Amino acid sequence: MSAIYEAPRARINTSMLSQYVSRPVCFVGRVEKVHPSGKSFTMCDGEGKVVSVELNEPLDEELSGVVEVVGMVTNKGALMGSAYTIFQEEKGVAFDLELYNEALKVIHDFSQYYPFKVETSG
Amino acid sequence: MYTYLCIHIYVYCIMHWGSLFPDCVFSQNIRKMDGTSGPPRFRIMMNDGRHTMSYFMLSTQLNSLAEQNLLEPNCVCMLKKSVTNVLKDGRRVIIILEIEVITPAKDVPGKLGEPTPFVEGDAFQVHALTSCLRQCHTKIVPGAKILPPTEFGKKTPSALPSTPGGSSKVVPIASLNPYQSKWTIRARVTNRSNIRTWSNSRGEGKLFSMEIVDESGEIRITGFNQEVDKFYNLIEVGKVYYMSKGTLKIANKQYSSTKNDYEMTLNGESSIIPCDDASDLPVALCSFVAISDLASHEKDAVLDVIGVCKSVDELTRLTTKASREVSKRTFNLMDQSGCTVSVTLWGEEAENFDGSAQPIVAIKGAKLSDFGGRSLSASFSSTVMINPDLPEAFKLRGWYDKEGHAVEGQSLTEARGSGGGTTNWKTLSDVKTEHLGHGDKADYFNSIATIVYLRKENCLYQACPSPDCNKKVVDQQNGMYRCEKCDKEFPNFKYRLILSANIADYGDNQWVTCFQESAEAILGQNAAYLGQLKDSNEAAFEEIFQQANFHTFVFRSRVKLETYNDESRIKATVMDVKPVDHKEYSKRLIMNIRKMAV
Repeated sequence: MSAIYEAPRARINTSMLSQYVSRPVCFVGRVEKVHPSGKSFTMCDGEGKVVSVELNEPLDEELSGVVEVVGMVTNKGALMGSAYTIFQEEKGVAFDLELYNEALKVIHDFSQYYPFKVETSG
Repeated sequence: MYTYLCIHIYVYCIMHWGSLFPDCVFSQNIRKMDGTSGPPRFRIMMNDGRHTMSYFMLSTQLNSLAEQNLLEPNCVCMLKKSVTNVLKDGRRVIIILEIEVITPAKDVPGKLGEPTPFVEGDAFQVHALTSCLRQCHTKIVPGAKILPPTEFGKKTPSALPSTPGGSSKVVPIASLNPYQSKWTIRARVTNRSNIRTWSNSRGEGKLFSMEIVDESGEIRITGFNQEVDKFYNLIEVGKVYYMSKGTLKIANKQYSSTKNDYEMTLNGESSIIPCDDASDLPVALCSFVAISDLASHEKDAVLDVIGVCKSVDELTRLTTKASREVSKRTFNLMDQSGCTVSVTLWGEEAENFDGSAQPIVAIKGAKLSDFGGRSLSASFSSTVMINPDLPEAFKLRGWYDKEGHAVEGQSLTEARGSGGGTTNWKTLSDVKTEHLGHGDKADYFNSIATIVYLRKENCLYQACPSPDCNKKVVDQQNGMYRCEKCDKEFPNFKYRLILSANIADYGDNQWVTCFQESAEAILGQNAAYLGQLKDSNEAAFEEIFQQANFHTFVFRSRVKLETYNDESRIKATVMDVKPVDHKEYSKRLIMNIRKMAV
């Protein structure tokens, strides 16, 4: 669980999932449906595309709104979630997922200026 | 102005069928009639080789033909579309809606035949023109169709939709004129204003206006008082109606962008009846201007645009000079030229506009402004259409979904801060490298910067307590404070702030001076409280300055080179301090990154 924090985690959206299979990523999206078991849920990104998130432990709280999930991309293009953070929307301005998505695209289009892929050797 | 053309054939056709067959006629005399206000009218006498008839009038949109001498005496023309109006005295006037000159006058060897004025009831002789033309020159009328006589004798059912009540024929909007009143039009409402009221020395009242369109043209209609009550709720934008008995008058171009020389006022006899079968009528008559071409149009021009709503701003409310509150919303419109322009909607239109799905938006009659470069405003006389049923809209949608969405778009409108006015965003190093403030006039710029140091020494001064006077007072050392400006002594004073701050961004830093309001915004406390604290609790006073460090704001500053004792230096004064709008800031950064990458 803590290992995921030791590697750099690329911020991605749904359409980038396939390029990050078996790698740690950070995904911000809006929670859509939580499975009754509490062990998985779906969320959509700023483009409205859906990703499913699987959890090892069932959720112990209600999940809604914008959430940042840190986890590993599975072969099936789902997210194996290790940890999540709820973005509290009542605090000030609502999180603009579309805008965040635009920023994501900038990061990936000009990855030479956003060197998040630093190898973990050090 | 009147023009005469001749023709027996036409009169005959019109009498029986209500519309003309394309055919050849020979114009004999064209007269321009001045003297009335509004556009000139041309009256034409036509000759078919046998008869002349003088009551042909050119519809005003065809005036250019006569003005450019394309349609001139002795030319042979084919009348393609027209309507007949019967005057009170029984004379027929034929309004020409579409005409083609087949042989210019210079190629016609003089008058054709020996025509006599046509009298209704005359025996119809169809070969007249044909034989005359044949006499003159066989090549004069290539391909012109002369209808065989048998066709003229029969009554053909009208192709036009019948009118409810059947009182008068459905005519095109383009044929409407003030000289005759027996008509019905069938048209689509493209715009309907809200009810407006007036009150002046002559009384009060209300009115509304609308614009209607058919395949021939458009016209603006106004209804007053009773007609407002009678028709306003009946009219729905986009629906088709039969209308008759309106009063036509010369259009006042100041209030209308409608492409018609006349406008209509509803009167007590007017009737408006909904028409269900409406699919054949155009949705609107628009002549769209490419966004990239907006720069070449004059300010205040009224034009039609269509584009994709690329992004939309939040609704804002503002108070007009007449202290009326209005809603306002701006969005960015992009078309295939790859340019974007900012469009402002007002009132209900602004409140109801949903641009989140990036719809195609067509605006008919938008007003061009030079505010912030070039921008557009949709006023009450504009029509805003979301995903209109127009070929241009489908083309744009296809283009946008395929490639347009990836185009960043070059904006004709400069980025604007929420405060209005154009915003001159600079980094602090830009301010130095671009030598801002070195000119004759002071320069203003906006920057996002962080407080790195606040000089608490001498940041407060004792000012004159009278309102509107902030002059520093002189302590008389006797419990009184003297203001030189007011020439008065006061037992008290008020504290005011004059704060020196060092602000920094990623590239540079800058000393700036902040006065009262901006200093209070930075420190988060008012001047009176700070003054009190300074005198009573040095530690708490110090704490406020420490707390204020490293906060980031949007600074609007004024810079000017000032000279003291032969030493010149840039003096920067903060005009306004605002919290950072991170959303807006991110959008600007992303836009700048995309621009730089091109």
